[in-house]
Amino acid sequence: MDPKTGETLAKLLTAAWLLPLLGFAVEIFAGYLWSRRSKAAAYLAVGCIVGAFLCSASALYLYRQLPTIPVVHHEASHQHGKAGHDETKPVHGEGTVVAKEEEHHTDPAPRMHSFSGTHYVLAKFSNLKISIDWYIDSLTIVMFAMVTLIASCIHVFAMGYMSEELTEEYEDHQVHTSHGHFSRPGRFYKFFAFLSLFCFSMLGLVLAGNIFLVFVFWELVGVCSYFLIGFYIERKSASTAANKAFIMNRVGDFGFLIGLMIIWTSFGTFQFATRTEADGQKQLGLFDMVRGADGKLDLQDEPGKKAVLLTDDHDHPLLAADGTRRSIPYILLIGAGLGVFAGCVGKSAQFPLQTWLPDAMEGPTPVSALVHSATMVAAGVYLAGRFYPMFVPEVQLVIAYVGAITLFVAATIAIVATDIKRVLAYSTISQLGYMMLAIGLGGWAAGLFHLITHAFFKSLMFLCSGSVIYGCHHVQEMPQMGGLRKKMPITAYTMLIGVIAICGLAIPGVDVFFGGVAAKLGLPASFQNVMSEKWAFSGYHSKDAIVATAMTYAQLNPLHALLFILPLAGAGITAFYMFRLWFYTFAGKPRDQHVYDHAHESPWLMTAPLILLAAFAAFCACGGEKGFLFTMLLGSEPAHVADGLAAGATSKLALPSHHQIHDNHATAGFYALVVAAVGTFTAYLFYGARQFKLNPSEVQSRFPWLYTFLAEKWRFDDLYDVMFVKPVHIVARWCAATDRLVFDGILHGACRIGIVVSHWDRLFDENIVDGLVNWVSNVTYGAGSSFRYLQTGRLRQYVMFIVVGVVLVGGFGLFWLMLRIRPS
Amino acid sequence: MTQHLYLLSLIIFLPAIGAMLLLFFNRKAEEAMRYFALMVTAITFVLTLFLLPAFDSSKAGIQLAVSVPWIQSWNVNYQLGVDGINLPLVLLTSLISLLAMLASWSIQKEIRGYLILFLLLETGMLGVFLALDFFLFYVFWEVMLLPMYFLIGVWGGPRREYAAIKFFLYTLFGGVLMLIAVLMFYFNSTPTDTAKLQGHVAELAKKDAKDLTAAEAKTLPVLRGLYNVENAKASPRGSFDIIELQAIGQGLAAPFLGFNRTLQIVAFILLFIGFAIKVPVFPFHTWLPDAHVEAPTPISMILAGVLLKMGGYGIIRIAFPICPLGAQYAAFAMVLLGVWSIIYGAFAALAQTDFKRMVAYSSVSHMGYVLLGLAVWKLNENGTVGKEYWEMGINGAMFQMLGHGISSAGMFFMVGVIYDRVHHRDLNKFGGLMGLMPLYGGLAVGLFFAGLGLPGMCGFIGEVFTVISAWNYNKLLAIISATGVILTAGYILWAVQRVYLGPEYKGPHGEAITPINEREAMIGFTLLGLAIFFGVFPGLMFDLMGPSIKQLVDNMDAALTVSPEVLKTAVGG
Repeated sequence: MDPKTGETLAKLLTAAWLLPLLGFAVEIFAGYLWSRRSKAAAYLAVGCIVGAFLCSASALYLYRQLPTIPVVHHEASHQHGKAGHDETKPVHGEGTVVAKEEEHHTDPAPRMHSFSGTHYVLAKFSNLKISIDWYIDSLTIVMFAMVTLIASCIHVFAMGYMSEELTEEYEDHQVHTSHGHFSRPGRFYKFFAFLSLFCFSMLGLVLAGNIFLVFVFWELVGVCSYFLIGFYIERKSASTAANKAFIMNRVGDFGFLIGLMIIWTSFGTFQFATRTEADGQKQLGLFDMVRGADGKLDLQDEPGKKAVLLTDDHDHPLLAADGTRRSIPYILLIGAGLGVFAGCVGKSAQFPLQTWLPDAMEGPTPVSALVHSATMVAAGVYLAGRFYPMFVPEVQLVIAYVGAITLFVAATIAIVATDIKRVLAYSTISQLGYMMLAIGLGGWAAGLFHLITHAFFKSLMFLCSGSVIYGCHHVQEMPQMGGLRKKMPITAYTMLIGVIAICGLAIPGVDVFFGGVAAKLGLPASFQNVMSEKWAFSGYHSKDAIVATAMTYAQLNPLHALLFILPLAGAGITAFYMFRLWFYTFAGKPRDQHVYDHAHESPWLMTAPLILLAAFAAFCACGGEKGFLFTMLLGSEPAHVADGLAAGATSKLALPSHHQIHDNHATAGFYALVVAAVGTFTAYLFYGARQFKLNPSEVQSRFPWLYTFLAEKWRFDDLYDVMFVKPVHIVARWCAATDRLVFDGILHGACRIGIVVSHWDRLFDENIVDGLVNWVSNVTYGAGSSFRYLQTGRLRQYVMFIVVGVVLVGGFGLFWLMLRIRPS
Repeated sequence: MTQHLYLLSLIIFLPAIGAMLLLFFNRKAEEAMRYFALMVTAITFVLTLFLLPAFDSSKAGIQLAVSVPWIQSWNVNYQLGVDGINLPLVLLTSLISLLAMLASWSIQKEIRGYLILFLLLETGMLGVFLALDFFLFYVFWEVMLLPMYFLIGVWGGPRREYAAIKFFLYTLFGGVLMLIAVLMFYFNSTPTDTAKLQGHVAELAKKDAKDLTAAEAKTLPVLRGLYNVENAKASPRGSFDIIELQAIGQGLAAPFLGFNRTLQIVAFILLFIGFAIKVPVFPFHTWLPDAHVEAPTPISMILAGVLLKMGGYGIIRIAFPICPLGAQYAAFAMVLLGVWSIIYGAFAALAQTDFKRMVAYSSVSHMGYVLLGLAVWKLNENGTVGKEYWEMGINGAMFQMLGHGISSAGMFFMVGVIYDRVHHRDLNKFGGLMGLMPLYGGLAVGLFFAGLGLPGMCGFIGEVFTVISAWNYNKLLAIISATGVILTAGYILWAVQRVYLGPEYKGPHGEAITPINEREAMIGFTLLGLAIFFGVFPGLMFDLMGPSIKQLVDNMDAALTVSPEVLKTAVGG
């Protein structure tokens, strides 16, 4: 194994990360000077992101060439306790290979390597250090490949979609000024510049080797999202949506910040992985400090003082300055986990911060495809996965419930939404809920698996919706569509692939048949694996994995059966609203003849990315849990996931092991499939079939309160307005008034008192002081003029005065002396 | 030493010389005077850059120190020097002055008087940052006050007299409190038993350097410096020397000389109020919005970019190291006031309808982080807890001062650019500026995001570092301070939406809106570029400041742990 590989990988991914930044810098400045009709910015942006994709693909290839870490048998170390691990635990280091512990029992998937290093140091205070780190494992590489591939497709698509901006006079029909129509110069270059900046931020987030850096890029993707949602800055709705998105994300980031504080103060580092610096000093990573090599927490379970003891990467205890063992209170670990997760809630639009994502659809559709479905909003799930070793079961329970509630709430709203993009937005929220649920239930790989498959089929569907909107000249309301499959077949059928993928439909029985054939033909094992899986698109496999995890979890923790019921119900609702969308848009008869007549299929520049993405949406999860994608992800699964957790080990909650999940897989898959089929069939009855004519508006009128409640998005916006927005403005006004009335009032009062006092002072001065002085002077003058008569000029008289004076003084002096001399 | 004396003196007095030379210009030659003044500020900036190669950033403590007797009978010296704490601020001052001078082309009235006062102000500011003698510091502090008063009061907006007097009164009040503290230190730095001390020093001086104990080695230079033993002029006299006073306050001259706890607490409170007015800290902040709103744009830039930093600098240079016991006594109150300022300022900013007033309140909020970061000194009966977190807090506070100096100067400038065109600042009567002035809009949004604390820009580092370091001190206050990130995003984004976004301009004088000119763009690009540069490479500044701040933290910690009784009282109190 070549230790240089790590450095090469880092260089490749760093190049992939920085290329879009270069693109941004050139586009934003040069674009300002270029002609508004120039496509140069788009070519540059596409060039950069395709270059980034090539770098990521090479990294993926290179990474696959690395031998997996051989399975080491742990019987010996089990007998000798923890010390035995030292031999097998490899050393971490910059550019050196880092291996994690492999599972002991069920999982045949081999561990994969991880690498980490530092670009440069941001700040260093005594022994605290914050730097620009990178961390690469199979998750990083898969994310890089996924992000750059999808981004490339979307960049190309956007060249077509945004071509209307290639003009000096772009007329925005949604904006009205006092002069009537509004037109402005096109902003084609700006769009691609922000897209490039976004790609840079997103890739930076994935490559980041410490949680602080994740936070940095976290905010940067947030601001890119702000710029892209508010791309049509003239539209009030767009700029308001952009503000809402940013501020709600900041609410999540507030929690994130608290998580960072706890981590920083408790551990003194932000770093994920342990690493040896260039100067030979070892920097312990968070995960090694919290968890042992086997992934277990070292608990100190005194009542009221439950704490996790910290260890180094060889499981030696860490000591504080006073010789006691370093530890972190369990409650703080929960706090840190919840804090970081709060950030994920904001970014991934989970309950209760989900309301910004539907509004974010104000942005151009390629943005919705890239930022608000495939990549940025999935960053929350990514971080939950990356940070998984720091989560204790209680935190995971919160994650699971948040995910379950989100997926259900969003799915119900999607049923009644009529804007094609909003349906997709709610479906995104709902699917993100699935991923969070999986992470919370201990289905680490399942959640991230769904992240990747979802990214493909959701970006596909968004682009399809973009193609529809483009073809229908910016009509987004589905009630105005219908029958479009005849006008835009490529869009319609690629969309259908996406819909089938998200619903998780599969053809039962095929797997057995093809598996048998493959075995008969004696094909290679990997082929056999692929053939013996269900015939289904990517979404089936990933959702199947999640439902199986949920089912197992519910069996282990019967109290939390809701965590199985909600996703199962959600699967049915998903199938319903997604097929509703498809039937509404593409099937049946045109509902608005005008729209229909003017509709057209999009140019190849836009359909080609659809076809490519459709291929990935269909086949990226090929082979299911034995396939390439899943095993890649599994290679980076934290060490403690595979074995699950028995109830009582860390807390009352139990987590399912791979083995247990595997046992449930077939049953869970069956349930999910049935539910999805029911959902699909219902949608067909309502919206697809001509002969039954079930009328959706009849159902609506049967339950008007429910319909309004759903259509008003469970009234979260109103609630938040009353609970937060208005009070904040009121408090703000109080503060401003306090300044004006109280502090300035005190000051002005003091000044007024000063003036009054000085006024009195003047009166006092003029009347009393001056009066006194004048009186004294008058008296003096008077005395002087009286004494004048003494000054006679006669010498004899003066001599007599002197004599009298001397006698008097002498007399007094004698008297005084006599008093002093008298014996006391 | 001589060349340092010349360099530092030139940096301080070059603007003043320039101001004098302006008197010889023809009164009509306005352009010539502008260019001349610009040149003076530019040369001053270049001169401050010469400090960088002369400064060894790996070392703590004062470098390039110079001391020339000034008023010998009172032991006042013309004493200057730089360390990691004032060097970045000196650079910031000369840079912001240069940019503000460049922004002064919009001033039309009484150019000569304006430029003269501006340059005198720059002398005062540089003097404050470079002075290491408390008397000299006080003189420069007051020197700065008067030009500022006239700059606001003559060249300001409609309510300029009110604002100028308010500014003057507040600052003067602070100055008086500081003067009391100066005198307290002076009269308490006279030793009681000179003969004994002389003997002690002579005895120590006889010893070989390596025979001295660590404590003796540390105290000897202090005592020697205090009593000038070599020249046998050991006449008892007080001291204005800030470095000496620091040593006395930190107990290095004990047992012959020291500031007792009561004295330190009283002096600290006096100094703190004096500096807090300048920062400004709630509840001494109400002069700031008025001063900002009425001051002309370049003066607002200086006010926000430099003057506010003097408060923070005074705390870190004078109040903290001279009165470590007082600092510890007041730490909780300071953190509380810092957090309160953050939140209160942000709320108040949210409610403003005047663009400039909103930016002014954002300064109150942002400077709250400075106070928070400085004061997170946690103590228990064993001494300082998590010293490196406090170190981080002070570093973060210093960085926040620099970052705020750049971003708020930029924000005020951006407000000024639009005010020069449409002559109003009502937030609800803007809109659509991004379309009308695209380059200006881009720069402005960039700078506002720097103020918002966007990662990759200077505001982020200071804000996050101070907030993160606060958890070690007090969990609840840290959490409250973190809510600032939401409120900040709220008022900045709302303002951006109302001013720059939207389809059309809604206020008066719409016809006067013209794209920004090159001069304005240059200022904007410089500030935005710096905001990004320091956001991406904050390490450059931390390397410069780090050793000095570490020394400060170590010294103050040592001062407190010098005896168990002191520590016990401090923890108990």
